[in-house]
Amino acid sequence: MSRFRTRQGLAPGTARPGAGLRRRDTLRLLGLGAMGAAGAGALSACAPSGGSGGGGGDASASTFGFSSWSLNEEASKPVVEAIVADWESAEDVSIDAVSYPYNDYLTQLTLKLRGGQVTGAVQLDIAWLGALAPMGRLLDLSDAAARGGYTEAALTSGQYEGTQYGLPWTTASIGLIANSTLLDAAGITEQPTTIEQFEEALRALKDLEGITPYAAATKVAQLKDIFPWMRTFGSTLVEGDTVTIGDDASVEAVEWYKRLYDDGLIAADVDRFDARALFAQGRVGFYDDAVIGKGATIAQASDPALADAMVPVPRPVLASGDAPQALLWGHVIVVVDGEGSDAATEFALHTTSDTATVADYFERLALPPTTAEGLGDPAVAQDAFTTEWTERITATATPGPFWHLTQNAQIEEVVAQQVQAVLVGGSSARDAMNAAREEITGLMER
Amino acid sequence: MTPLIGAARPRRGERLSNTAFALLLTLPGMALFAAIVCYPLIASLVTGFFEQSLVLPGRSFVGLSNYREALQGDFWPVLRQTAVFTLGATAIPFVLGFALALALNSGIRGSGFLRGLFLFPWVIPGVVVSFLWMWIFNANYGVLNGVLTRLGLIEESVGWLGEPGTAMLAVIVTKSWASFPWIMVMMLAALQTVPRELHEAAAVDGSGAIRRFFTVTWPGVRGVAAIAILLEFIWNFQHFDTIYVLTGGGPAGSTETFAVAVYREAFHGFDLGRATALGGLWMVLLLGLVGLYLRMFERETDR
Repeated sequence: MSRFRTRQGLAPGTARPGAGLRRRDTLRLLGLGAMGAAGAGALSACAPSGGSGGGGGDASASTFGFSSWSLNEEASKPVVEAIVADWESAEDVSIDAVSYPYNDYLTQLTLKLRGGQVTGAVQLDIAWLGALAPMGRLLDLSDAAARGGYTEAALTSGQYEGTQYGLPWTTASIGLIANSTLLDAAGITEQPTTIEQFEEALRALKDLEGITPYAAATKVAQLKDIFPWMRTFGSTLVEGDTVTIGDDASVEAVEWYKRLYDDGLIAADVDRFDARALFAQGRVGFYDDAVIGKGATIAQASDPALADAMVPVPRPVLASGDAPQALLWGHVIVVVDGEGSDAATEFALHTTSDTATVADYFERLALPPTTAEGLGDPAVAQDAFTTEWTERITATATPGPFWHLTQNAQIEEVVAQQVQAVLVGGSSARDAMNAAREEITGLMER
Repeated sequence: MTPLIGAARPRRGERLSNTAFALLLTLPGMALFAAIVCYPLIASLVTGFFEQSLVLPGRSFVGLSNYREALQGDFWPVLRQTAVFTLGATAIPFVLGFALALALNSGIRGSGFLRGLFLFPWVIPGVVVSFLWMWIFNANYGVLNGVLTRLGLIEESVGWLGEPGTAMLAVIVTKSWASFPWIMVMMLAALQTVPRELHEAAAVDGSGAIRRFFTVTWPGVRGVAAIAILLEFIWNFQHFDTIYVLTGGGPAGSTETFAVAVYREAFHGFDLGRATALGGLWMVLLLGLVGLYLRMFERETDR
């Protein structure tokens, strides 16, 4: 008899019929666990979190958060970090800085805001205000805005349905930037002003070895850049509540974009960050960017002379005399109602309107200020690139067609997905744009 | 009633049967399971019957509308893409892992070092692996295009992640690279349980290497191989990070699997109702696979 017998007369680990858990049962339980895990894996991420509806927290607290994608980008990170550090030491407050990459920022912010995990000041793209303001978590900053000395146009970029949720940090536009050195090398003596001239210029650039003539967005993240081209071809995109994407003009624009893709004039697998990297290597003739593009691109360029070669180009038009299309662009700082919101409001006001701060911000990142005083600062007023950009591109810029809608991000993604399907040959431009119109209409009706 | 002389009276704490005691021990785990698995699961399934936004408050009951929309919309293409990815990302690492396990089991020199070396891809976090391969496959400054251009195999850069045909292949290659080591380890362990005497006896009987593989080696490792394949299949069926980082489901949805589609619906489209409906359909398929796994596991343990 084994000396390891138990009181029941069985060795440890020996299954006893009718009592205890048998090995088979254990395996079954493990299987049930696996089933549960499979289901949970599939679904639990979508479980409603409940979120916290109201503001909550001590508004007068001296600790608050600051969410910013600029803290995630090489060029802007040290500049914004310095602003935060200076304000912390000057005002004896503590700022918890949080950052996400630009392309994931809206999703991350939405989730955290819904879960009540965001406090303080939040940097926003002006296109996102419509998505976040309806959540009811942002403070009305009208009083602070009145103290900032912002221009009227800039203030508008921080408003949603008449309420001033955002203090404008920078306001400009998205347009084309060209490498004049490459244009010279390709024999392009004048900036193209029409689509036809633009295409000719791209074909001339294609003859240069290793050059991407136009680093247009072909990844979903920035394919919303197609909107100004659609407008260039004459589409209104939306009229009131009626989506007009799918009209002849928008289809023609996408067919043209597809032709550029097929002819190798634009490249596969490009988003804004790829375009900047390629431009910084001197391998791109034209690309779409905001005015910040100059600073962001120069920061990663090995050739300092590239800065002098960068020129803003108004978007070519369909017929001479048409107004060049450009998309308004800018950042605002909003404040989340709750913990530290008073101090966060002061921080947002200082960051966006203190003349010394915004002038320094401009000098280091080429981001134009939004206050009359800031714009009048010699560093800003005498900058040739920014002045040219403002006069030639921002002058005719318009807001995104769907910015006012909560579903703006989804709508832009729908169009981007459909355009991408055309580019890779999965759909005709007509079918894709009709499908986009139907889907967008459905989204707008929700 | 007079107690029987000599009969041991159960003391306090000894009244529980083994079954009851075991169940008692599992209670904390079961409670945790209910809180972090059952509740979200049920809540999510319920959400599938509502129109609910991630951004806006409130929701409205829409019955089976979300499920109907999912079946009429994304479900079938996503199922096809999930199947292609899952099959590819299971078959390739299995063949590779098994081949390497056979090589290592044959007693080649340096097998210990090689075993450690081959495990390297497995210990790197999945997102890091994905970024690594994203740089390799990048159309405009990727290593792969650079190498192929220098070798004269291509004249113009290939958009590996930007074309539907190559994007799925790139995703499968990346996932295979990350997961072949664990299959190699599993199969190596199984191979080491096959008695060497059987090989020797078969060799004495005149069996060649291929015949010995099919008559001695494969029967000895077949059970483990089946479980490894099925587990890898289930994991790939749920896989997210490699695809999301490399292609985000693109181009034009050509690499969009269930995991990515549910994420996109929920966190890009902010449509929780449709996301959970799609997730519910996905879960039904997964449960079938898990049931198959359990059946195979039990059969293997009975052997």
